[in-house]
Amino acid sequence: MKDIFFDLSVRSVRLNFLRSILASIGIVIGVVAISSMGMLGTNMQLSVKQQLSSNVNTVMISSDVVRTTSTAGNPITSQGIDKSTLNDIKNSAGQNVVIPIHNTRTQFTIGSTDGRGSIYGLDPNDITKFLTIAQGENIKGGSDALVGANIATNFNMNIGSRIKIGQDNISITRPTVRVAGILASRGFASDGVNTDNAIIVPDTWYTDHFGNKDLYDQVNVILQNIDTINQTEAAIDDKVNRKTEVVRISDASSRLSSISSTLGTITTFILAIGSISLVVAAVSIFNVMMMSVNERVQEIGILLSIGTEKGEVRRMFLYEAFILGIIGAGFGGICSLVIGYSVVSAMIGNTAYFFLPESIIYVPYGMIIGVIVCVLSGLYPAWRASNMDPIDALRNE
Amino acid sequence: MKNAGMDESPLIRLADVTKVYHLESGDFTALNHISLNISEGEFVALMGPSGSGKSTMMNQLGILDVPSTGEIFIAGKNVAKMTSLERTHMRRDIIGYVFQKFYLIPLLSAYENVEYPLILKYKKRDITGKAAAVLKSVGFDKEMSAHRPNQLSGGQQQRVAIARALVNDPKILLCDEPTGNLDRKTGFQIMDILTGLHKEGKTVILVTHDPKIAEYAHRTIELEDGRVVGS
Repeated sequence: MKDIFFDLSVRSVRLNFLRSILASIGIVIGVVAISSMGMLGTNMQLSVKQQLSSNVNTVMISSDVVRTTSTAGNPITSQGIDKSTLNDIKNSAGQNVVIPIHNTRTQFTIGSTDGRGSIYGLDPNDITKFLTIAQGENIKGGSDALVGANIATNFNMNIGSRIKIGQDNISITRPTVRVAGILASRGFASDGVNTDNAIIVPDTWYTDHFGNKDLYDQVNVILQNIDTINQTEAAIDDKVNRKTEVVRISDASSRLSSISSTLGTITTFILAIGSISLVVAAVSIFNVMMMSVNERVQEIGILLSIGTEKGEVRRMFLYEAFILGIIGAGFGGICSLVIGYSVVSAMIGNTAYFFLPESIIYVPYGMIIGVIVCVLSGLYPAWRASNMDPIDALRNE
Repeated sequence: MKNAGMDESPLIRLADVTKVYHLESGDFTALNHISLNISEGEFVALMGPSGSGKSTMMNQLGILDVPSTGEIFIAGKNVAKMTSLERTHMRRDIIGYVFQKFYLIPLLSAYENVEYPLILKYKKRDITGKAAAVLKSVGFDKEMSAHRPNQLSGGQQQRVAIARALVNDPKILLCDEPTGNLDRKTGFQIMDILTGLHKEGKTVILVTHDPKIAEYAHRTIELEDGRVVGS
């Protein structure tokens, strides 16, 4: 059935074309704001998650628990994970790979250029278990070293380059390592081993020059099965932290979820900012609807006096608001795709996730919200129109 | 007061109807204890000077308003006891309105204006051809049916308005100075149409200033200061 009230609304919108279009532009902006902001947030979350979730099967154990002394004074921090703790970890880790890690920050010199970065001491056999060598080969011992992707590029290093480790001091001859291989870029590593700006040396070389033999800064447990993460952590916790908190056990998944929830909060926040534009749009739709009602008082009087039901008059004006909403949401949806894509590509630099359902869903969301806002804004004007006194309305010139 | 039709249940019965408007300057009694009957098939002219209560009377007869005191029965129903929706349906089904200023719906074509009450009643577009037939019966050129009201002359608009009033086959035709905005010749043409409708059995109630127009009616009710002074 073709509804005559819908017809009347269409004609009213057409008659006041410019005014209707201007009001709809408000909705267009609102829909674009909500959709683009939503997509931006989602794409941000997805791309950060992707970066973080590569090492999610790693349990990190560190000794940065503050132990308080029984006497008054400064609390002391433990120096590292000692050999017996490491053995406890190994015993409770079962079949999983346990990787003890030495780590500190140091100065170094390549040729005549000074730099500063992390230095990791690792058992050469452990390296290939979680790191990828892009060029050259793994270190075997002695004074071989691997360098991270950034450090290699920034200092123009090749296989065979030599690096002087430690602070430049005339009175001491600094030890030198030779670059045997260059690691693939890792980005922000969620297992705590950030190698892109680091030098990796054999653990024996590390303890020879930095000390701390049998005292590790971090121990990573790489799980064969991600589903066992909770029971493995519990087993280590039971064994190692039995009497006092000796180590802190964490994993990337908890970090991932906390980062995700932070990003979720940020997304909600920017969505809320986007919604403000819809509130503004609602006011302008309300205004246009009130104008439409006020201009058509006599017409409303005619409709009511010749037997139009109040509900039918109401429907006519709600249709009008709905049409404005549909126009606005339609254009808004199209603009959202274009603008959203531009914003995501400009701010995140990666549009790989743009067309995924969880991102693109914000376009229909924005459109639906836009239409709903329009219809809600039309409620009062429609109610007012339907409740006019037909005699007074007819008299209105 | 004499009643032209003395049926047991007149189509319209006013029993001691008073309408008081509460204005800032004080209460204004527009209708003052009016009792009268109008039977089915009558042609009644309602006359009186400005402010005599003609418009108020028409609003009452048209169920656009209810009395302050007293009762109005239309087709046997007490108007004051009906719900707002029942009154709306009665306006749609039993009463046809013809206004001085035509009051066509500006957004609709002539044809759609006539079709509109049918849609209100049957909730669907007219496929019976009734709207077109009624337009033809008031002498309205078929080619003009697609025009919007603002493209029509006054006489043409009034024909459309009469067609709109007739399309749902009302018992009562309420005409509020239907010739007031027309030249004399066109006015008489419109009156001829109304006379024809009366002959077909419609009850026609007509408000006018013009004694020549009132002559078409078979009964004249004169109002003054909200009272019936002659009938």
